[in-house]
Amino acid sequence: MNSNKLSTVELREAFFLALYKKAFPNFARYVARMDGSLEEAQDIFQDTLVIYYEKLASAQNEIVVNEQAYLLGIAKNLWLQRYKAGSKNQPLNDLDIEVVPDEQIATSKILYYLETAGKKCMELLRAYYYDCLPVNDVATLFGYSGTHSATVAKYKCLEKVRETVKQNTLKYADFIE
Amino acid sequence: MRTSLNKIKTIDDYFLRRMPHGDALLFEANTLLNNYLADDVKHQLNTYAIISQYSRQKIKEEIIAVQKTLFTAPQHRGFIHRITNLFKKY
Repeated sequence: MNSNKLSTVELREAFFLALYKKAFPNFARYVARMDGSLEEAQDIFQDTLVIYYEKLASAQNEIVVNEQAYLLGIAKNLWLQRYKAGSKNQPLNDLDIEVVPDEQIATSKILYYLETAGKKCMELLRAYYYDCLPVNDVATLFGYSGTHSATVAKYKCLEKVRETVKQNTLKYADFIE
Repeated sequence: MRTSLNKIKTIDDYFLRRMPHGDALLFEANTLLNNYLADDVKHQLNTYAIISQYSRQKIKEEIIAVQKTLFTAPQHRGFIHRITNLFKKY
């Protein structure tokens, strides 16, 4: 699978739907046997697909031979981690995303602001950094005349978001005052 | 590009490992000597974290929408039946 083919919401929707049909029944059977619920199976499978998508996006030349077995492996691991190791309700959210530790960011506040005031920028940055789309695809998707314009737009957006992050970064002192 | 964007590009190139080894070492030395640069690096790192968090949230919303379609749309009735049967308690 080439992640470049997943550049639009519609393409990703078809991709995720196919994966659900292909791999979810086996995982659901496993969870049912382990006395889990359908909701738990669905929750874990959502995170499985996020992990798989991130892997495909970041390692574009890697080929997963047996997609179904691979997804089942990720899902079983997540299940064991979350439901058998006593951390039942810990979401996938950003366990692996590092934030500079000596300052605490008001993350939800920033995300809310960026989702409303800077959505176009965030979508552009997502296409570059998360979906790892090639610059010419990004230019086409976002209607830029060429790769240079798209690259400059990326840096402008990065600057804008960085400024927001900077302004909203709360120093430790802010909490203890 | 204006100077401020070039500075952002330099930090970006460093983190994306698009910088030659010698330049990367020089960049690291500069971050030790220049507090403003060190601050910019820190904020840019936090910005990448925010982008990841935003993107992950969005992709998860897309997956949840797909799941909702799959478990409610009439054309997937066979699939729903097959899955719900697995969780029936006897």
